[in-house]
Amino acid sequence: MSILKVDHITIRFGGLTAVSDFYLDLKEGELVGLIGPNGAGKTTVFNMLTGVYKPTSGKIYFNNQEINIKKVSEITALGMARTFQNVRLFTNLSVLDNVMVGCHLRLKSSVLNAVFYLPKYVQEESEITEEAMQLLKEVNLEKLEGNLAGGLPYGQQRKLEIARALATRPRLLLLDEPAAGMNPQETKDLMSFILKIQEKFKLTIILIEHDMKVIMGICKRILVLDYGKTIAEGNPIEIQHNPEVIKAYLGVEAHYA
Amino acid sequence: MKGKKKDYILLKIATILIIFIFIFIAQRSFDAYIIRILNLCGIYVILGVSLNLINGFTGQFSLGHAGFMAIGAYVSALLYTSPEIKEVNYFITPLIWPLNIIQIPFIFSLIMAGLVSAGVGFLVGAPCLRLKGDYLAIVTFGFSEIIRVLFCNLQSITNGPLGLKGLPSYTNLWWTWGIAIFTVWFIKNLINSSYGRALKSIREDEIAAEAMGVKLFYHKVLSFIVGAFFAGIAGALLGSLVMTIDPNTFSFFMTFQIIIIVVVGGLGSITGTVIVGALFAILMEVLRSVESPMSLFGLNIPGIPGMRMLLFSILLMIVVLFFHQGLMGTKEWSWEWLYKKLMGNKKEIEEGS
Repeated sequence: MSILKVDHITIRFGGLTAVSDFYLDLKEGELVGLIGPNGAGKTTVFNMLTGVYKPTSGKIYFNNQEINIKKVSEITALGMARTFQNVRLFTNLSVLDNVMVGCHLRLKSSVLNAVFYLPKYVQEESEITEEAMQLLKEVNLEKLEGNLAGGLPYGQQRKLEIARALATRPRLLLLDEPAAGMNPQETKDLMSFILKIQEKFKLTIILIEHDMKVIMGICKRILVLDYGKTIAEGNPIEIQHNPEVIKAYLGVEAHYA
Repeated sequence: MKGKKKDYILLKIATILIIFIFIFIAQRSFDAYIIRILNLCGIYVILGVSLNLINGFTGQFSLGHAGFMAIGAYVSALLYTSPEIKEVNYFITPLIWPLNIIQIPFIFSLIMAGLVSAGVGFLVGAPCLRLKGDYLAIVTFGFSEIIRVLFCNLQSITNGPLGLKGLPSYTNLWWTWGIAIFTVWFIKNLINSSYGRALKSIREDEIAAEAMGVKLFYHKVLSFIVGAFFAGIAGALLGSLVMTIDPNTFSFFMTFQIIIIVVVGGLGSITGTVIVGALFAILMEVLRSVESPMSLFGLNIPGIPGMRMLLFSILLMIVVLFFHQGLMGTKEWSWEWLYKKLMGNKKEIEEGS
């Protein structure tokens, strides 16, 4: 079943076409890699999917619902969550609070319920705390629940960001360079971690990554962007031997007279 | 987690009892001047804490608090004042019906003041909160000036620049301190709830907050409305305390005072705001002496009105330079801390004996 259908979206910033004619039909449970040289428009695609940018033309369907006109928070509520290329945690909030913010969209109690600590809210709050602690266990941060998120080392910040995204109970998770700045061992752990959460939370994942080991290791399908255009699509082997991709990454051999 | 399980009920009851007894004694036996200062302490605490919710916890820099106070003060004054006093006040342009015959008990007029102010907070906040940073500050500042000018010109409702005089004095320590405690309790619970986490996440990173499903507009307007509600009530209390209000009472100067309280106390710390709010009210009176004529080292200096504010400005600059986060930063006083202090002292005493 198709969970996300991106129907030829194009976005222009003034005279610059950042992404043109992007097409993607994503089936439930897939793990798709999105790669391309710097400035190819990968993050712009994420920003359009999550509603930060509105495409100039084309339509996006998520769960068979058109989401072009929806707000970012509404799209998140429909079940799409993301992480950011440069980690965007709530640095002055505790690790636990960061994850609990992700649970807030499911809160049913009204403001007054919450302020007067009525039983309905107390119940919900303890459920949220419980759920957030579970997610922290998932990323091995449960012992650091009280620390400020800004004080964590970089690798753990990335994991916390994933936990926070999971707290919104997404069906589709967009990961923007999760392995950036990690050493080879951490990267290896991250790969198994991504596969683990995909299995456990029944996620569909789109992954932007520069580390080819990650992409080739866990993605069954890969899309290659260059200057906003999709230049190749296929499985890892096909992509590695695609002349267009080699050209985009390595350039063309010079011909000497 | 262990700390959360204990709720220190005995300690809370004891504290409330002590405050209760203090108010009881103070209201009966302190002289009027001291009581007035204590009343102002309570009012500044309400104002500071409610502005801190908007500026410190939600991170939306608003300069419109004086406007909300003005609305609260006028709404309540028009409701609790007797028709006779109103008739005396409105001798140029008569007050419109039905305000000229209405008189309701003080408590209901306070609630009405808060509600009307919150309603205006919604009307103003809805369009303004799409702006960020400096732009929001400018627009909210503009709002409070508009309110002031509007009240100067709506003669048949507000009596214009003549203001309202001879208002009955209902404000006492029970009202000001009671409402101050309620305000602190309400806002503390709000910011510690799930809604509070959402507000703080907006302050930390709007883009990330929205991506996590926090409805930006709803939550910003929420904090604006709650802030406006309490500012309105504080304005009403102030009106009945000084017994005379005119539009220029609620100029930018008023907002500036509350901003000082919030910034010096620490954006994001209720404890800091409460301490500095109370200190501010006291210092405003104590420092009156610097405005009177004095002789320093044989030099005769004539009294300069406004010297107090100069001192406050210097204080503000010192705080901004040396305590970037304000006196308390985002730290909070807690029952647990008090409990430990008390228990610790007891142990020392036991060991000593």
